[in-house]
Amino acid sequence: MGSFARIGAIVGADFRIRFRRVSTVVIFLLLGAMAYAWIPAPASGRALIQINGHRALNTSGAVGLGTASIGMIFVGLFGFYVISNAIRRDIATRCGSVAASTPMRSFEYLLGKFIGNLAFLVTFLAGFMLSSMAMLLVRGEGAFQPLVFIEQYLLLTPAAIVFVSAAAVLFESIPWLAGKFGDVVYFFLWAAVTGLVVGNEASHGRTSWARCFDFTGFGFMIEQMQQMLHTDSVAIGSSPFDPTKAPIFFPGLTMTRGWILPRLASVCFPLLFLPLALLFFHRFDPVRTRRTAEKSSRNWIGQVQSLGKPLSRRMVSLLGKRTDFDSLGSAIWSDAILTFTLSPLSLLAWLVVTIAALIAPLRDLLPIVFAVLAIVLADVATRDARSGTMNSLCAISRLRENYVWWKLGSICLLSLLFCAVTILRTIPAGGFALLGLLGGIFFVAAIATALGIATSNSKTFIVVFLSFWYLVVNDRGAHALWDFAGFYGRAQVSTVTGYLLLSVVAICFAQIFYRTRLSRN
Amino acid sequence: MLTIENVSKRFRSGNFGVRDLSLEVKSGVIGLLGPNGAGKTTLMQMIATITRPTSGRILFRGVDVVKWPNELRKRLGYLPQDFGVYDNLTAREFLCYFAALKGVRSKTRVSEMLESVNLHGVADRAVGGFSGGMKQRLGIAQALINDPDLVIVDEPTAGLDPEERVRFRNVLSEIGFGKLVILSTHIVSDVESIATEIAVMKEGRLLSLTTPEEMLRTCAGNVWEAVVTSEQFEQLRTSLKISGAVRKPDGVHLRFVGPAAALAARPAEPELEDAFLYLMNFAAA
Repeated sequence: MGSFARIGAIVGADFRIRFRRVSTVVIFLLLGAMAYAWIPAPASGRALIQINGHRALNTSGAVGLGTASIGMIFVGLFGFYVISNAIRRDIATRCGSVAASTPMRSFEYLLGKFIGNLAFLVTFLAGFMLSSMAMLLVRGEGAFQPLVFIEQYLLLTPAAIVFVSAAAVLFESIPWLAGKFGDVVYFFLWAAVTGLVVGNEASHGRTSWARCFDFTGFGFMIEQMQQMLHTDSVAIGSSPFDPTKAPIFFPGLTMTRGWILPRLASVCFPLLFLPLALLFFHRFDPVRTRRTAEKSSRNWIGQVQSLGKPLSRRMVSLLGKRTDFDSLGSAIWSDAILTFTLSPLSLLAWLVVTIAALIAPLRDLLPIVFAVLAIVLADVATRDARSGTMNSLCAISRLRENYVWWKLGSICLLSLLFCAVTILRTIPAGGFALLGLLGGIFFVAAIATALGIATSNSKTFIVVFLSFWYLVVNDRGAHALWDFAGFYGRAQVSTVTGYLLLSVVAICFAQIFYRTRLSRN
Repeated sequence: MLTIENVSKRFRSGNFGVRDLSLEVKSGVIGLLGPNGAGKTTLMQMIATITRPTSGRILFRGVDVVKWPNELRKRLGYLPQDFGVYDNLTAREFLCYFAALKGVRSKTRVSEMLESVNLHGVADRAVGGFSGGMKQRLGIAQALINDPDLVIVDEPTAGLDPEERVRFRNVLSEIGFGKLVILSTHIVSDVESIATEIAVMKEGRLLSLTTPEEMLRTCAGNVWEAVVTSEQFEQLRTSLKISGAVRKPDGVHLRFVGPAAALAARPAEPELEDAFLYLMNFAAA
């Protein structure tokens, strides 16, 4: 039995493991709902594609393009966080150690994991494509052309699928990228790659080589739409349109000669990640896997953590002396300062943020403070479940009953510590600006608590919040709706109220989820 | 069959996991005993080609497995400590997966192994619902699926109830003649009935490699029994190496190893637990 059988076994096992999860079933149910939401009926006043205020007719080409581009964003951004746990799972279960003691070669293992990732994402997109096709049958305008519809997916998504699948294998093979730090790095890598190709096409493709890195397909899409529609004003997603303007027939994208090589290159380039991953792959050597690496100080994060430990211990011991440990308040205080004990890097981040807040303009600084805050907060509501201390904590009566409040309080306290100077500097701007900032802080804390308790996985909050943050920062205050913490002074009463309501919903969700889990146990 | 020559494993922190260890073993069940942190797991990981020694050689049937790991991997069965499973796979799928990685083509072999570990009745159930003992039996099934010549099992009975421990021991003792089984544990009773040889490790070094009978002889004349009051027991518990204590109406019945203490103690027949304790504390002397 050779390499093919071994690779096939790895792919098969990964596929079964992923597709038998409840979360995967939920994702596939959501796909149908998403297709319903993204492809609105023309009578609703919204359109999947809006060009200069005109609604694009719901043809196979338009709906295919619109849904393929949305699916590609989901794959490119969220797909990574869904699939980048295949090697980590093998480390946690020790099945990887057993696999490493077999004649299986390392390249077979990594290739198997890559194809497993590919298979999952292709199935995900195929499911999304089929549910979108079904919506086209319901809300389509014109003849149903399945080949044109599928063509849009084939033109846009393969590069994103290969890129994400290979990047997940690479990130998981490099110990210092295999955790939360890697999750953050990937987000900014994805944003940078997208920015590069979009910027390039916005300047009419001045840098031709950039097209070879168009993993997201955005560059291709923008260039094609510029050529066909002679405009840069295109909105994809359920967007409002001007009903007084006549609808436009958009036939969909087609491959042009100039794009054949760049599209092929963007599919093939990510494959180079695999030999790179092989160079770093630990083959489950316990000395090289992350579990050991975290304890050692050989990577730069570890070195910073080690250097910061004496300072954080000193500070934590000073802060800890003021607690009496009997009330929920002292438990909140202890949990908040535990963050600094566990990660001296977060203490360093707090110092940097506080010093920067004293000198930098608030408008520029606030988004950065919130991005740093999100990374620090992501662990607080997940660390108990991950470290297996939940049962011990639930044996303490006041924590068992008030676990959600405890975590929310701890996260709020940490957030206030991180934003203390910015809050003080916001006071002169008036009561409403201060209320907006405090509301934003509470919103972040509530979402971090809810997602942390529900998923026990810090990356859920990181990816959800950073995606939201990315939209907010790119909007630059153009819409009051996105100015959740008053970064750009555009928040209105409705904005603050809306985010407060969302926070309350998130806390209720966390309570219901936690109580249900508690009653089951 | 297996020769280990001056093997050391030094971590980046500078600590040694295993220090200048040499041994040679043929077929049979080798019990690897030692307290937590003795280096048993590190030694087993090196033999199982999961991690490389910093220095020294490991030879299996004359082949240096550090240089040529695949020569051993083809003939190896390995069950690591704290072995987990893929919860969503069935027992059959789980075994088929490892069978494929090990190059075993036969579906019959998978069924045979499930039967031999008494899991054939639940072969098509998801392993996420299995008890700890069932998961460990599945673990040993995957280790044996390729009919290995060398089987390495690391702390396989940790967390199992007494009945499962006995059942697991029986499975190991039935593995077959002509094979080498290395079983690491810190629980002496796990190996006393099945081990043909016992290796004792402490602080990364090999203290002894001998038969259970020989090991018992090393502490002959150094095992004692005495009946003391509760107050005396509280005083003695820090100064004596106690291998057993039972409270009874007439006092605390003590069993300890080492030189005769200044109390009315009578010599006792050594057991493997006593011998292990004696080696741990008085071997250097």
